[in-house]
Amino acid sequence: MPDFSLSPEQESLRDMARKFARTEMAPHAAECDKTARFPEEIYRKAYELGLMNLNVPTDYGGSGLTLFDQCLIVEELAYACGGMTTSVIANCLALEPILLGGTPEQKERFLKPFCAEYQFASFCLTEPSGGSDAGSLRTRATKEGDHYLLSGEKCFITNAPHASLFTVFATVDSALRHRGITAFVVPRSAAGVIPGKDEEKMGHRASSTSTVRFEDVRVPASDRLGEDGEGFSLAMRTLDMTRTPIGALATGIAQAALDHAAAYSLKRQSFGKLISEHQAIQIKLANMAQAVHAARLLTWHAAWTIDRGAKGTLESSIAKCFASDAALHVADEAIQTFGGYGYMKEYPVEKLLRDAKLTQIYEGANEIQRSVIARELLRAYA
Amino acid sequence: MTVLVVAETSAGHLAAATRDAVSVAQALAGGAAGVVGFAAGPGARVVAAELGRFGLPRVLVVEDPRLESAPVAAVAPAIAAAADACGADTVLVGGTTFGRDLVGRLAVRWKATVASGVTEAARVDGGLRVRRPVFGGRATETRRLGGARFALALRPHAFPAPAEPPVTPQVEAVGVGEVPPGVWAAKRVALEAAALGSGPSLGDASIVVSGGRGLRAAENFHLVEELAAALGAAVGASRAVTDAGWRPASLQVGQTGRSVSPQLYVAVGISGAIQHLVGMVSSRVIVAINSDATAPIFRVADYGVVGDLFQLVPALTAEIRRVRAG
Amino acid sequence: MDIVVCVKPVPEPETRLRVAPDGRTLDTEGVKFVLAGYDESAVEQALLLKEATPGSTVHVVSCGPAPRTEEVLRASIALGCDKATWVEAPALLASDPIRAAGAISAVLRGASHDLVLCGKQAGDDEAGVFAAALGELLGAPDLGYVVDLRWDAGAQRFRFQRVTEAGVERWEAPTPLVVGLQQAWNDPRTAKLPNILKSRKAAIARVPADAAVVGHASEAEKFELPAPRTGAKMIEYKTPEEAAQRLVRILREEAKVLP
Repeated sequence: MPDFSLSPEQESLRDMARKFARTEMAPHAAECDKTARFPEEIYRKAYELGLMNLNVPTDYGGSGLTLFDQCLIVEELAYACGGMTTSVIANCLALEPILLGGTPEQKERFLKPFCAEYQFASFCLTEPSGGSDAGSLRTRATKEGDHYLLSGEKCFITNAPHASLFTVFATVDSALRHRGITAFVVPRSAAGVIPGKDEEKMGHRASSTSTVRFEDVRVPASDRLGEDGEGFSLAMRTLDMTRTPIGALATGIAQAALDHAAAYSLKRQSFGKLISEHQAIQIKLANMAQAVHAARLLTWHAAWTIDRGAKGTLESSIAKCFASDAALHVADEAIQTFGGYGYMKEYPVEKLLRDAKLTQIYEGANEIQRSVIARELLRAYA
Repeated sequence: MTVLVVAETSAGHLAAATRDAVSVAQALAGGAAGVVGFAAGPGARVVAAELGRFGLPRVLVVEDPRLESAPVAAVAPAIAAAADACGADTVLVGGTTFGRDLVGRLAVRWKATVASGVTEAARVDGGLRVRRPVFGGRATETRRLGGARFALALRPHAFPAPAEPPVTPQVEAVGVGEVPPGVWAAKRVALEAAALGSGPSLGDASIVVSGGRGLRAAENFHLVEELAAALGAAVGASRAVTDAGWRPASLQVGQTGRSVSPQLYVAVGISGAIQHLVGMVSSRVIVAINSDATAPIFRVADYGVVGDLFQLVPALTAEIRRVRAG
Repeated sequence: MDIVVCVKPVPEPETRLRVAPDGRTLDTEGVKFVLAGYDESAVEQALLLKEATPGSTVHVVSCGPAPRTEEVLRASIALGCDKATWVEAPALLASDPIRAAGAISAVLRGASHDLVLCGKQAGDDEAGVFAAALGELLGAPDLGYVVDLRWDAGAQRFRFQRVTEAGVERWEAPTPLVVGLQQAWNDPRTAKLPNILKSRKAAIARVPADAAVVGHASEAEKFELPAPRTGAKMIEYKTPEEAAQRLVRILREEAKVLP
């Protein structure tokens, strides 16, 4: 029988993340949302406390946590601010291809110095003409002896304006479609790497997002992860690992929305009583609570499955898809619970809706998640 | 049974906190006769005379000048000895930094059952029953103290003034007793008297007076500030006031402003929109002054005064000043 | 410098208070106990002094039941304390600051410590008597309400300030000293993730509490929460002066929020 209780160690990790989130992140969430400020001082503190690079083994200077423990932390951080959390965990996404596809020499060479300092890395897959259709990417990697020349443009890349390292997916032969895609590790310092200007976003405004152009960037073959044509599979295996923490991120946003709505309902009065005593509100809160609870348990189950060594594609897709849809719906209902006040930026709930929306789109849009779920599901019936 | 009251000095005179101790002592001892005073340090005889004004017939004094800058550990032996000498079973002291430290020491040295921050004390079969606030005042506990001896540090300002008629006390000098030499080595080397004037900050204050739209104009906000000064309180404001620019946003209490939970919150001319309530509703005691009897603030306030604040607030300020002076 | 810091597990500050079924105490069902408030500052102050004085050790001690006491000790180790001792005692004993001081003094009496740091008062009972009782038991002077505690290695004495009713006092004292700390010179640090993981495996000495060191016959009789608000008591008056007098009298005698 499964044991749903957390170990004392897991409780300590979660408590530490909660404390950091509530004392360091939450007080600045509204201000960073308003001004789209990238709070370096908060990210630096997160780094110093060991909250970045959660997936990198301790041998390379990371925190070496299980996926489950990462999810515990991510949910707590997202409760305070989804945008800041996205930037904190973006390193995990960028470094995962190195963990999965790098040789021991590459891991040592890239991960150790990277984790030894406060810095950002970015995962570069999405392009202006291809997001969900990652297999159709057009960034070219032209082989020239012992190196490649990378050319192309990536967009919607988290942390790109600040990143010192990029994990880039490019094709060595577009005629091969996804079988030509190859993965590379590219330092910002390489000539021809041109990160763009910070985009103005609907939400996650404390996080930084931009294009990255590669203009004949010379990449040594020794910085290629795996062989030519293995990049697409590496990208998919990476997303298999990073999808579940997005479920945790969405759960954190949803929990915050539920907490705000419930607390407000116990203060606000209408028609002579607290609105928590009106059935319309009770039903709303009940539905919200179900959604949050389910989102968390699906995320926990996906993480547990993957930590036991399974691929967990079905479980993680369900968790990400459900939790992100839940976050959007719960945030929406939280605004509705607040009524007119919920529409005002003075109150924290409208930000939650704007932050929740992105979780339905990035790290695999929910339409793709549903395709994946259907495919995995039907496989069992074939 | 006899009660020993340990007096404290403030600016050369009897500290206000000691009055609480005298009041409770007279209640527990069943009258002035059963209460003996104790004063220590250079001003002990002055304090002894002031204790007489509250009806204490007898005061023991220790005049060793070293006590002025010594830790409580230096005077605890003399107090324990004095209590034994006059046959006291209870030692009372104000719940100040000195008083709480003293009862902690007496629990061990005098083998007493102790409590600090006490707001009510009464004799019961086999001992004392006391009440005290806990969890920052969010709850109250009642404790039964058993045994043969008791020492209580009383919460300041929680008791009525002593009511016994003044007498001229019999003053007896006693020695400082056996103080371990290491205790004298800890010394106070300087004292900067507490600065008066600028009130406490909104976050720390135990009393907050806030003003709202009911004050009608920026020029009238001084009524709130004067009341706050009289109470030694911090000043707060509603969003209407800060939005209108009458006072800076740093004073705003509410959803986008500060959240405060003082012992006393006085809301002047504030209607009590939920956006303000969220910032102050966990205050221990809320008083609302408003001309509108149906204002939502009266639903969360403990006490309400409906009327013209332009008359009520100055009257309240004057009354506070009168009471504080007397 | 040999520094001891005494900490007490208390309900976390955001706990919703509930009365236990017997009506005598806080209902601790589902309540999380943590290192908090002035105790957190005391640990921080101990670590700051250790960092400022090479060759120092910080020994954290706590008295109480499982699992809360062990958790608070591990939290202190994660922050940087070198050594930890758990004085095992039932909640009833541990919740009495005089008896807890007795039990802890039995553990500390063996060696001479330069400094014993405590928080000025616990976050739950707020009694503020523990440090004084411990000082009496250890035969050392105690000073409470201390802020900014520094060690002057040249003069071999502590220099610190106390915030009291009289104002700001400046003090100096040699070792040994017991301090009830109000504020360290920095905000309490947050434990780093790798140290949290390491603290789970750290060794903690366990000693059963000697309940006989100090007797103290203080018994909880009732634990009460304030009655929920049912609307303001409106003050009747004929003149503003009368309203003011009535209100002030009520605030002094009934509500007891004014002297």
